[in-house]
Amino acid sequence: MELQFTETYRRHQHDHPAIREACCLRAQFPAILRPPEQGDLFAGRIEFGAVGFSPQDGGFGYFCMLDRLDRALAGKDLDPEERAQVAEMRAFWAREASAARVRARFTPELARWLSVENWEVGPAVAYPIYRMLGGCLDFDKLVRLGLPGLREEVRRHKAVHTDDPDAQQVYTGMEMALDLVADVCCWYADQVEATAAGRTDLEMAAVLRRVAEAPPATLREAIQLSWLWALLSGHRNYGRMDVYLGDFLARDLDEGRITEAEALAMLQSLWRLIRARKLIFDGRVILGGRGRRNEVNADRFALLAMEATRTVRETEPQVTLRCYRGMNPALWEKALQVIGEGRTYPILYNDDVNVPAVARAFGVSEAEAAQYMPFSCGEYVLDHASYGSPNGVLNLLKALEAALHNGHDGITGAPIGLGTGDPAGFTRFEDLWEAYRRQVEHFVRVCAQFQVLVHEEAAKAGPFLLTALLYDDCIARGRGMFDGGVRALGGTLEVYGLVNAADSLAAIRQVVYEERRLTLPELVAALDADFAGRRPLQRHLAECPKYGNDDDVADAMLLRVYRHVCGTISAQAGRPGLDTYLPVIINNSANTVLGRRTAASADGRRAGAPMANANNPSGGSDRSGITAMLNSLVKLDPSLHAGAVQNLKLSRELFTTRLPELMALLETYFENGGTQVMITVVSRGDLEAAMREPEKYPHIFVRVGGFTARFVRLERDVQLEILSRTLY
Amino acid sequence: MATGLILDVQRFSLHDGPGIRTTVFLKGCPLRCLWCHNPESQQRRVQYSFDYGKCTLCLQEGHECPNGVSLGPDGAVLHDRTAIDPSTFDRCPYPAVAVLGRERTAEDVLAEVMRDQAYYRRSGGGLTLSGGEPMAQFDFALALARAAKAEGLHVCLDTCGHAPWEQYAAIAPYVDLFLYDYKATDPALHRRLTGAGNEDILANLDALMQAGARVILRCPLVPGVNDDPAHLDGIAALARRYPGLAGVEIMAYHAMGHHKALRVGQRAPLAGLPTAAEAQKAAWLAALHSRGCTRARLG
Repeated sequence: MELQFTETYRRHQHDHPAIREACCLRAQFPAILRPPEQGDLFAGRIEFGAVGFSPQDGGFGYFCMLDRLDRALAGKDLDPEERAQVAEMRAFWAREASAARVRARFTPELARWLSVENWEVGPAVAYPIYRMLGGCLDFDKLVRLGLPGLREEVRRHKAVHTDDPDAQQVYTGMEMALDLVADVCCWYADQVEATAAGRTDLEMAAVLRRVAEAPPATLREAIQLSWLWALLSGHRNYGRMDVYLGDFLARDLDEGRITEAEALAMLQSLWRLIRARKLIFDGRVILGGRGRRNEVNADRFALLAMEATRTVRETEPQVTLRCYRGMNPALWEKALQVIGEGRTYPILYNDDVNVPAVARAFGVSEAEAAQYMPFSCGEYVLDHASYGSPNGVLNLLKALEAALHNGHDGITGAPIGLGTGDPAGFTRFEDLWEAYRRQVEHFVRVCAQFQVLVHEEAAKAGPFLLTALLYDDCIARGRGMFDGGVRALGGTLEVYGLVNAADSLAAIRQVVYEERRLTLPELVAALDADFAGRRPLQRHLAECPKYGNDDDVADAMLLRVYRHVCGTISAQAGRPGLDTYLPVIINNSANTVLGRRTAASADGRRAGAPMANANNPSGGSDRSGITAMLNSLVKLDPSLHAGAVQNLKLSRELFTTRLPELMALLETYFENGGTQVMITVVSRGDLEAAMREPEKYPHIFVRVGGFTARFVRLERDVQLEILSRTLY
Repeated sequence: MATGLILDVQRFSLHDGPGIRTTVFLKGCPLRCLWCHNPESQQRRVQYSFDYGKCTLCLQEGHECPNGVSLGPDGAVLHDRTAIDPSTFDRCPYPAVAVLGRERTAEDVLAEVMRDQAYYRRSGGGLTLSGGEPMAQFDFALALARAAKAEGLHVCLDTCGHAPWEQYAAIAPYVDLFLYDYKATDPALHRRLTGAGNEDILANLDALMQAGARVILRCPLVPGVNDDPAHLDGIAALARRYPGLAGVEIMAYHAMGHHKALRVGQRAPLAGLPTAAEAQKAAWLAALHSRGCTRARLG
């Protein structure tokens, strides 16, 4: 498939990008699609090749996974002729792939400061990420118009834009893409009929044939079409599913076409298919929230969707419930029921805070902001109206490390940042802040430049036809997604180490500049030695006030660091190709991976240890309980960022025996300004981990006899006893 | 200005009264109940807590202790607690040593409590005074309760009942709910188990009930120590005498107190007695229900 794809690309290399893309898509599909498996109620499985076209798989645009080709070349399965072809193809894409083209345009500055691409391995303050992540397609439009409706809309606009040859090509490309989707439906129908084992398969085939030709009329058809489109477009987020599938569900149920059990089975199958893409960080399904045109029907769908999550015990889809004052309480209760069973979904969002915050952050009206969509690890985008791909990673703790070492890496000594001065000369705390500030601002600038380059190459790669067809305002304007089509083309920057940097700065200010316990160079020496022989110092630093305890001094430092990085990032917006630029402070394992390359820090953290996760206090630093932590969290202004994530670990018994208090806790948190929360019910595994590493779990409280106790303060045999008694 | 010796302030407490609460633990108690699960709260003075389990690990690693802890030839911990010098505590490489008890003003404590007021409002929660025995620092407890009520907070008082009636009368207007202990029925047994008789405790309870106070009876039950049939009869009898009780709760014994006692150099009187098993708790409940005390539940 790769060879054929490459050959197709070469044949159309100098055609209009829209035509080239349409032809390449046809070389890609249905070649990389896989047949339905036992139990699937819908067709649609995929396995990307080493070469292809996608917004984010393998890179972005035209991608080539060089290491996969290298492995094939190193293996024994290719005959000499094939080997030559693959080698030649590799050489071709090493130049021509969209990511390679970005690299070829690096200025010396970018080459120097974003030199480390593999953020999982190399130490650096900032890293580039080549992708166009976070598309949220207008699935509602798709299922209401169907393929014929979309075709008609394209035709209508094509007939109007006759004086724009570029637009004409884009429209032609769109028509070709629509034909491809229809053909894929028929191809799948043929496949399914050829191996049909029963009534279910025949129905699947019939559904496929119908949606190839007509707008969906049933829930099954709507799911099939939207699912297939999501796969073909390469996007990983499934939008406001309750809105675009809610009416179909209601009609089918009310007209007796299907039962609730059958509807649930459909969603369970869809959930499994979503999981089968194994995308780990994506797969968002958004339920609930303001700005839904069909609240009642959407709520019916939302309840069923949460039941699907309750019964399909997988890590995806990342079902997300947007909550708001006046929402149907049944959804809130269902969400807590599902979370209480240990599912971690739905993730809860607070529209009453987020909608106004997004309006301010993105500079749009509240009506527009009501279409905010969390995607991936927590970034926001406006449903089918804006783009905000996170194309950079910034490690603030590493920036501080650079400031403490005059631009050098604290572990390896390599030059990783600006030369901001010998710390021996930082006679006041503000001198250190100044050095830190300069490091951060420098890397943000560099990341913004990189983001623009990616946008430019994305525009040159092609219109991203299957995305553009379902995005405002591409059809109306006759432009590709990143070439003037999408209404707002912005970017986001992933920020890590926020909490550790702030806690470290606060500790340095206290210990070096207020207590004068030791000089800054002496502290740096202790950090460089990873606290060897300096345990009391490490302990003292660890006991300095930390963010997450509702301590005004510690929280004030966090706010200072937070406002600085948010302001620095958003100041980059407005340059051509970057309508918005916002930080995202999110939740994935990068805090751990980046921590491995980050030296010991003044918050008491050992070299290589994980950093704090998203907005959460450092593991072990929230010593004052949940309410104190939540109070700290809500001090951050959510209008300054484009997504942040909060994790709460709660005990199972809260859900089973203290549900009113739990609801009061979450409702108050939201009312106080909380933006979202992801709840993990503390499991036996957590308790066992807490026994091994108590310093990381001071926040777990357990019910002991007639009282609540902090689990890690209990003696081992008591802990074992609780472990043996507690049923999770 | 009233100050109190405070042991701990625990936010998001769910088990010391209704809703989400903050519990303020005062240090010092007139009783010495054998089963006390907070033995470090008994003495009304600052104490030093050494987590000797951590000390053992640290010493086994070969470190020298700046605070005078060492290991004997048999591996047991040796520590001359009469020679403790808190000025060397911050040299401890582990967080193995802690100072228990800090003087704080009622104002300062209330400011901390007020930080969670939004949570109290929504959940019907508030402040709980506990310890130790809050009435043993009456001036402070009264000042705090009064200030809390002035802020509109719901106030719970967790008390053993062993204090002058005049003090209960003075504080009652500022207490929405009493969590009131009932530990043994036979007065001589009560004295043996707690260090004091139960006559004034029962008299205070009676006066509170007559005055219309809202009271939940809290009954610690310790297997083989105070759970004899006569005491269960006594609990049921109290419940019958006071139909206005807001609840009757069984506080099942837990062995958590043993190690805490050792940390502050105190004896653990019931060392070796295991935590009450689920089956035991069920049996107590059944025994109370069969005595007509159907409102009894596990606390």
